[in-house]
Amino acid sequence: MIITKKMLPRRTFLRGMGVAIGLPMMEAMVPAMPLPQASITGRKSPVRLMFLYVPNGIDMENWNPSYAGTLGELPRILKPLEPFKDDVLMLGNLTHNWARVLLDGPGDHGRCSANYLTGGHVLKTDKSIYVNSPMSMDQLIASRIGRETRLASLEIGMEDPRQSGNCDSGYSCAYTNNLAWKSQTQPMPPILDPRMLFERLFGASADLSPEEREQQRRLRTSILDFVKDSTNSLAKDLGPTDRRKLDEYLTAIRSIEVQMERAAKDTTPIPPGMEKPAGTPADFGEHFKLLTDMVTVAFQADLTRVVTFLVTREGTSRPYREIGISDGHHPLTHHGGKRDQLARVTQINEYHLSNFASWVGRLAALQEGNGRLLDNLMLVYGAGLSDGNRHLHDDLPTVVVGRGGGSLKPGRRIVYRRETPFSNLHLSLMDRMGVEVESFGDSSGRLSGLDTV
Amino acid sequence: MNRRQATWAFTIVLVLFATTRTRSQDNPPFETAVAPIIQQTCTQCHNENNASGGLNLRQLVRKESLVSHRAEWETVLRKLKAGEMPPPPLAKPTGLPAMTAAIERELDRLDRNIKPDPGRITARRLNRNEYRNTIRDLLGVDFQATQEFPTDDSGEGFDNIADVLTISPLLAEKYLASAERISARALGLVRLPKPISASYSADVGGGQITGTNGRARRTGVSFIEVPHRVDYDGEYVIQAGLSGHRGPEGRPVTMGFWMDGALLYQEEIATTPPKTVYFNPYEVREFKVFLPEGRHVFRLGFMNDDAGAAMPANRMYDSAANKYPHYIGFLGPQARSEESSSRRRILICDPSSGKACVERILSGLARRAYRRSVKASEVAGLVRLVDRARAEGLSAEHGIQTALTALLVSPDFLFRIERDAEPRNAEAVHRVTDFELASRLSYFLWSSMPDDQLLDLAEKGRLRDAAVLDAQVTRMLADPRAAAFSENFGGQWLETRNLDSVKPDPVKFPEWNNELKEAMRTETRMFFDSILRGNRPISEFLTARYTFLNEQLARFYGIENVKGMDFRRVELQTQQRGGILSQASVLTVTSYPTRTSVVLRGRYILENILGSPPPAPPANVPPLDEDAAGVSQSLRQQMEQHRANPACAVCHSKIDPLGFALENYDAIGKWRTTEGKFPIDTAGMLPDGTRFLGPSDFREALTTRMPQVAESLTEKMLVYALGRGLESYDRRSINSIVRNSEAKGYTLQALIFEIVHSLPFQSRRGER
Repeated sequence: MIITKKMLPRRTFLRGMGVAIGLPMMEAMVPAMPLPQASITGRKSPVRLMFLYVPNGIDMENWNPSYAGTLGELPRILKPLEPFKDDVLMLGNLTHNWARVLLDGPGDHGRCSANYLTGGHVLKTDKSIYVNSPMSMDQLIASRIGRETRLASLEIGMEDPRQSGNCDSGYSCAYTNNLAWKSQTQPMPPILDPRMLFERLFGASADLSPEEREQQRRLRTSILDFVKDSTNSLAKDLGPTDRRKLDEYLTAIRSIEVQMERAAKDTTPIPPGMEKPAGTPADFGEHFKLLTDMVTVAFQADLTRVVTFLVTREGTSRPYREIGISDGHHPLTHHGGKRDQLARVTQINEYHLSNFASWVGRLAALQEGNGRLLDNLMLVYGAGLSDGNRHLHDDLPTVVVGRGGGSLKPGRRIVYRRETPFSNLHLSLMDRMGVEVESFGDSSGRLSGLDTV
Repeated sequence: MNRRQATWAFTIVLVLFATTRTRSQDNPPFETAVAPIIQQTCTQCHNENNASGGLNLRQLVRKESLVSHRAEWETVLRKLKAGEMPPPPLAKPTGLPAMTAAIERELDRLDRNIKPDPGRITARRLNRNEYRNTIRDLLGVDFQATQEFPTDDSGEGFDNIADVLTISPLLAEKYLASAERISARALGLVRLPKPISASYSADVGGGQITGTNGRARRTGVSFIEVPHRVDYDGEYVIQAGLSGHRGPEGRPVTMGFWMDGALLYQEEIATTPPKTVYFNPYEVREFKVFLPEGRHVFRLGFMNDDAGAAMPANRMYDSAANKYPHYIGFLGPQARSEESSSRRRILICDPSSGKACVERILSGLARRAYRRSVKASEVAGLVRLVDRARAEGLSAEHGIQTALTALLVSPDFLFRIERDAEPRNAEAVHRVTDFELASRLSYFLWSSMPDDQLLDLAEKGRLRDAAVLDAQVTRMLADPRAAAFSENFGGQWLETRNLDSVKPDPVKFPEWNNELKEAMRTETRMFFDSILRGNRPISEFLTARYTFLNEQLARFYGIENVKGMDFRRVELQTQQRGGILSQASVLTVTSYPTRTSVVLRGRYILENILGSPPPAPPANVPPLDEDAAGVSQSLRQQMEQHRANPACAVCHSKIDPLGFALENYDAIGKWRTTEGKFPIDTAGMLPDGTRFLGPSDFREALTTRMPQVAESLTEKMLVYALGRGLESYDRRSINSIVRNSEAKGYTLQALIFEIVHSLPFQSRRGER
């Protein structure tokens, strides 16, 4: 809760009523873990990667321009990005083959979101979870370079998952609730509540002195040692599946230890003007802005270099009253060609884009080193379905915003050969994050022409 | 000879061969009772070229297939028992009942020859509800896990499935930070800031003062409500701002203050004009209450305020005619005036008095936190943490807090881990230990830890005694904690948890608001709870002649003479309502924001009541002209067109009639007789051909499917009880649970008792 200047009229009133009340304490939201801004100045700025995923496909007629090459007038949905189009790279014909029906029957929504960053086959089951890929590409990057920042990666989202019933045709809800997968069986749930995100980025124990914080760190270390010891001795006599569950916990404990080490070295204060949010706003735009503004700070302070943002989840029936749409998003996308229904889908697509574009606008104004923050970002905005009505998995709508530290030449639209694996984009992006691997998912090579005109 | 002729010849040979043998037997064997119908009827649609419903029954003509294709046979049996196959207009072969019986008999016979398999439950972490309840029962601290932890993933329709519940780094961070906070709260060691204030004033109806933190929602003339986050456990001065007066004749009212629906404070208030103020009369009542940390919904209002409710609209907020709540202020925190019971319960002796006391405290805590007896070496590890904290110069109490934090992040607390003597031997079937059984029981019925009585019985090895076990289940079902079963099992089985994610269109449904939504949820929860506690037959879920209503919901249903905001049991006088399929909660979660959906409702009934879920629809289905429904065509006419397409008809002829039966209820469950300008036609038939005319005889018709309904509920409840998906080897247990509960009239408790005594609940085995 934030106590603001709004206190005055109240106190005046209370005095008038003859009620004696002590002065409220003005508690500034000082972060428990200060930010290391200084640490990234004076050397080459790191490249940061973020995925923003929107569900239920996109109205492709209003997404794809009729041309390739230098970006001219942008189609209707992408219009909000017009002022920033020199920083926009559009990619065409990227396909996620493993998200297709193949032999697994219905469940395109479940498959396409779990497959999006993992590039692998998703086991069709509602009893457990399994993605046939060692981890998602963001987590692969995090596992390699995550130790350089306090948070190896950050996962955020905006929609509380469905609470009961089935999510998609025999696919566990875990597949649609998460984008990032730390292992074949361990998804990384997104933070939805801005308050929770604030606490993760800036620390929850704001009222501790530096000495107390150091003491807390020492005690935490002892506690985590205790946990590791008991977990290890427990695991000795267990079967493989139970042991895997405990291993997941141990892995998570280790990531806390790494964070604590990092935090001990950080010394710079939080940027002024950041307030701890009270909770989750009902309004889509407000929620989006709160989350992305905190991501901006996380980028500026180099708290993390890998972010995934599940804007809303596949199959969502969220209505968009913000723009006068009372029907659920998912039922609308099965418009079967009906124009007025499709028009509402287009409006939702546009609305998502306009929220994204206004964030890009805020980012574009920020400096970093001798250039702009945006020069060092790669914000991939896209969907795991192209045509949501027909559940198509080819030509996935994909734009990359930013210049990837000079490794991208945006302002263009590149259309690849049909059926080019989306996983090829993953390979190319991982290169730019300093993580070079031979192959990923169903990749067949790297995407050409991203950095040459 | 082509394939068809060959098949015929084969069949004839089979039949001839078989008939010579059956004369001596009453029960015809597979070859005569099953194979011919499969060959002649089923494979018309279920063959290698057109595996309708994903089934190729040509694989099932040989008896050996009962072993090799067990899963397919289970499906066949389920469809036959449900009376769904062969679907109309195909005639049902006369040998169908004999065939069904023969398949069942054969599968039973096979099962008798193999060793029963209890299956195996993976180490399961507590989900958010279980964590919250366990912290409540362990420490007496109200910790809002649902707001602090990321959402639990669910599978099989439930959020307690071991293989789906995972731990991410984010969750582990939250576990650590929350453990520190919870242990400090339990011991009263949270440092309080100086008191601060927060206040809210109503968005409708004026008053003298304005809140500093925003608007309070007016939920009626005499009520305002506001969500507010309390940052610290502590005592708070509440300021209740009341505007206006009701003249010299104004009668006193009872003012109440609620948190999350629970009444915290009440006092009698005069509504006559105040003597000291001449204009804009305004009164601020102050009182002190204890508030727990977390985000809560606070409500201020007058109870049973008939005079306020009768106020004409133009005078409701006229301060010279009415008195009404307008403002809520919070001032705090202040330290509690007396020691909390959490703290008293932990500090059973003075930990600064020496090691003996520290050990006593920690061994008691560890036993309850780990839900089993603890070894001396485990206690020693915790004592070392106390020493560690003291070496930092902290007090003995802070030492206990450090050890308690460690307990709460220990895998023994966070996970329910069950042991096998031979974890890699799948043949090594064994009963779970008494302690493990105690946890299975408590998390099944309470979504929480076992209490001292269960732990004591487990320690003495008496819980496995059938009579003791029954007595405990009886006790547990009568305990207030069993509300968690209605909440968590009921809420997920009936999908009423989704009430928060459906967002009915406020233009089409102006009556929809938060209070109505909560009333709908409460109705179904109380209804479930009453069937549970009253041990009623499960058919009452469908046909009960009573429900639970408050004034708002009763008015919404068109039922008179229910006054006030409290819920009570109401006997139903008309056939409009009765059972869950007439409850607004269920009808709302099975609708779209703007309209009803016969498909969603039909699927719901098939999935949750009849246990025969239809396959998922293909993408790119022909559209439904929603805007035209009720204008140029009725929804029904449209759906019938949709079904004229044979590809759609296969499933929709089964799904849609069930949904149409409920078309008298709109998308938020309000009764209607027309849709747009068209009268509603609710007649139809069940998948087995039973005909019905409208919602009430539809509900009656469903109860004729009793073994099927009981089996469906058993499967759901067994998934929930075990925290795992079901496997084909569970079929025997399900069959016997259903059979045994038939003798007890299919009461809800009968199912629970049978599950508790079933093999998969009592036993486990090593891993394959």
